Amino acid sequence: MSDATMNQKPRRGFRVSRGALPYLLSLPALLTCIGILVPFFTAVAYSLQRYRLSQPWARKWNWGENYLNFLSDPAFWNTLKVSLTYAFLTVGIELLLGLGIALLLQKRTRFNNFVSIMLLMPLMTAPALASLMWKLMTNPGFGILSYFASLIGLHDFRWASDPSTAMLTVVLVDIWVYTPFIMILLLAGLRSLPQQPFEAAALDGVPRLFVFWRITLPMLTPFLLTATLFRVIESIQQFDIIYAMTQGGPGDKLTVFQVEAYLNFFQSTNVGRSAALLMILWAITYILSNIFIKNWLRLRERQRGEA
Amino acid sequence: MSLQLTDIVKSFKEDLVLDGVSLDVATGETLVLFGPSGAGKTVLLRLIAGVIEPDEGSIRINGADMDGVEPEDRGIGMAFQNFALFPHMDARENIASPLIARRESKTGIKRRVEDVARLLKIDHVLHHKPKELSNGQKQRTALGRALAGEPSILLLDDPLRNVDAKLRFEMRLELPRLLKDQQATVIYVTQDYKEAMALGDRIAVMSGHGIAQIGTPEDIYLSPANTEIARLFGDPVINLLEVTPERGEAGVQVKLSGTAVPINPGYTGSIGHSCILGIRPEGIHFADAGTPGAFPVTIEAETPLNEKTVTLAATENKREILISRPSGTSAPDSGQAHIVIDSGAVILFDRATGNRIALPATDAAKGGAA
Amino acid sequence: MEHTSTLEKVLRGTAITLVILFFMFPIFWIFLMSFQTNETILRVPPSIVFDPTLSNYTALITGKLDTAAGTLEISFMKNLWNSLFLSAASVAVGLVLGVPAAYAFARLKFRGSEDIAFTLLSFRFAPPLLVLLPLTIYFQQIGLADTYLGLIWVYQLIVLPLILWIVRGYFEDIPADVEYAYRIAGHSWGATFRKIALPLAGPGIAAAGLLAFIFAWNNFVFALVLASADKQPVTVGALAFVTASGIQYGQVAAGIVLSILPTFALALYAQRYLVEGLSLGAVKG
Repeated sequence: MSDATMNQKPRRGFRVSRGALPYLLSLPALLTCIGILVPFFTAVAYSLQRYRLSQPWARKWNWGENYLNFLSDPAFWNTLKVSLTYAFLTVGIELLLGLGIALLLQKRTRFNNFVSIMLLMPLMTAPALASLMWKLMTNPGFGILSYFASLIGLHDFRWASDPSTAMLTVVLVDIWVYTPFIMILLLAGLRSLPQQPFEAAALDGVPRLFVFWRITLPMLTPFLLTATLFRVIESIQQFDIIYAMTQGGPGDKLTVFQVEAYLNFFQSTNVGRSAALLMILWAITYILSNIFIKNWLRLRERQRGEA
Repeated sequence: MSLQLTDIVKSFKEDLVLDGVSLDVATGETLVLFGPSGAGKTVLLRLIAGVIEPDEGSIRINGADMDGVEPEDRGIGMAFQNFALFPHMDARENIASPLIARRESKTGIKRRVEDVARLLKIDHVLHHKPKELSNGQKQRTALGRALAGEPSILLLDDPLRNVDAKLRFEMRLELPRLLKDQQATVIYVTQDYKEAMALGDRIAVMSGHGIAQIGTPEDIYLSPANTEIARLFGDPVINLLEVTPERGEAGVQVKLSGTAVPINPGYTGSIGHSCILGIRPEGIHFADAGTPGAFPVTIEAETPLNEKTVTLAATENKREILISRPSGTSAPDSGQAHIVIDSGAVILFDRATGNRIALPATDAAKGGAA
Repeated sequence: MEHTSTLEKVLRGTAITLVILFFMFPIFWIFLMSFQTNETILRVPPSIVFDPTLSNYTALITGKLDTAAGTLEISFMKNLWNSLFLSAASVAVGLVLGVPAAYAFARLKFRGSEDIAFTLLSFRFAPPLLVLLPLTIYFQQIGLADTYLGLIWVYQLIVLPLILWIVRGYFEDIPADVEYAYRIAGHSWGATFRKIALPLAGPGIAAAGLLAFIFAWNNFVFALVLASADKQPVTVGALAFVTASGIQYGQVAAGIVLSILPTFALALYAQRYLVEGLSLGAVKG
């Protein structure tokens, strides 16, 4: 019997060598990767070309000209300003609000769990559809929010159609959709914190505000950082909400990077400028995502270590 | 089947775990790998099983080089320290897994699983999932899984580590018979010297990335290669006293509490050198004052330890000595007493290196006497 | 914490109420609107008292919209079907590609494995239009323009990193010894993968699939750029529908309700895994 086990060597006709196996398993995913890397490099090339879909005969390499032009291009600076304002406002408010709600719901009670699940519904709504919902609610004719505004004396409040309130409106939609994201991550973070420091502080009668600043916040930092960076990266690239709400208008009030690039490509058919804009956005997100991934990995390892 | 390891080197990243390990295990032999945790015992088992590969060196089973041979083709059975049962399969499926791999007939599998289960007294829990089994039942299931395929080589990684003391005692009695019945070559890993002595045809003591000593249990107990190994085997632990042998009337002697105590005359080469004298507690006996070689001690405490009683005593210069005697025999239980040392049981180590000083003339005879 | 004052209780209660109001009101309001006709929607002041009607839903489902000008064809159900098909197919493809790769990354550490895993992850963070705009031109050339296949491929951009990193975590949670034990018992790595790794990571794989489905369903920009009307999912279709249906706001609302219900249902079902999915496997809920 025991000799038999040794001698029945190659049972299968096809055998994979140990070294090749992992590559073979990840090959399909890798090929998909490469399929995505090709258009990426094409985009790099486009950004270095004078390339308009409407004038294909005039296409030529102009190297850094698209980028150089940005320096004296007020539209570019507007895009940068609008994108950064949007990212700063949305993430800032969402962080404060998300942290506040997480603290409110920190205790594991049936009611709190129910509320936290309910609050996830906006996050599960497609951002484009969320914009549509808010569009219906801010319609000057019958929108419930326009009606509420008129109740507090703001007659003819035009929300996204008014240049002075357009940013406020899309930021509001972003907050509605994404605050639950920060809330749920911080809630998981708060609930995973070790209890001893808090019990010790309670025993010693340490003031709660002090506990919050000196114990809760420092211990929550990895979660805060991960959630914030994640949101900044997404927010600076926001497209769905703004495009669905106003298509970048009114005027150039909301022409954030991706919206501006989209309009450049499909309306002005200026492929070169569009690609150059996206490259700059990519450079920003690349730096941010590198910082993010470092934090995220540390958090991931820590959480896995505990499990 | 025989197993040969030659100059195995293995490191994980920068951590060197095994540095040039060679080992020869004969067909049907039970070899115990003994050593503290982190000595590389488990790594060695995994290398033999083929789930990790050595950086250097070769592993041969019955003379065939195992380089590139997959774990499933090595004809090995293995029981893990943490059992590593398949959590989604019941005990029956766990035990049957080596048989299923060989595509044996359904009735053949059923019969074999039930035979093994009966042998291990788990036939009543075969339908339970691992999480419904007690630790002892898990351990038996893991053992059953390793045995079911009648492997030619059985690797047991500290299988009694995670079971309670009572079960460990029972299994220590059952295992030798079980292993002999298997007629397999067994590599057994343990950190418990009693288990090692009870089960091993030979014991390989591992420390510092390699095998420090390999030999029969008697060899290792009576002639430990160094003070470290001497301390690992034996409970109560061996007495180690700093001495400088000198020439005496009958040959070689050492001074303990001012009394000349003769030791094996073969140690003439050590005269005048700094040494450590090792003497097992059972090699020391109480004696009347005036007996040749007897020296005085102060008795400090006494502990009964199952079949023996251990006395802690101190010499005049406050060195502590453990003395063991069969329980039931009488001895002074306090105050002053005199003890003699069985000169034939003395093991001398070099103080600088800790290594045992060889006795070429008498080594063989002493081993035989034990 | 035990001795909370009454004032604090009141403040907490008010805060929670406001939070619930802000986040739930839009969904509640749109839900109400979907059972109304323009007649009650356009009332000033608005009221939550009305005669509910299912006419919006029946119009959407039958695809026939009766207006004063006559009957209008609407393709909303087609959009819903596209969403379902694109999301399900993308997740299926993502699982087939991602699960073996996740296993390779988790278990068979190999040269460059971490680099590849991070490259895949970084796709999650790159601006989607950067890839999409050149793709519109490539897809024209290789005949993938406006095909389901092309869309499903692009959807891997969001589906694959998610599946890869979540499932990888679940594979890493399986003790290596359990897999070793199965190999030593005489099974090939393939059998070990199928009989040990897959069943034990099963719940994680299912959760990753559900979450990937939600993300695919909610995606907007891929289809906006790459799909024409008959391949569009609801996210894009609903936007076009606003202009097409003219002033039938009730139907727009009903369309939104139908489009967000599936993700709500899935999220509710997979809520235990949501935190893990949203953090790409870094935080356990």
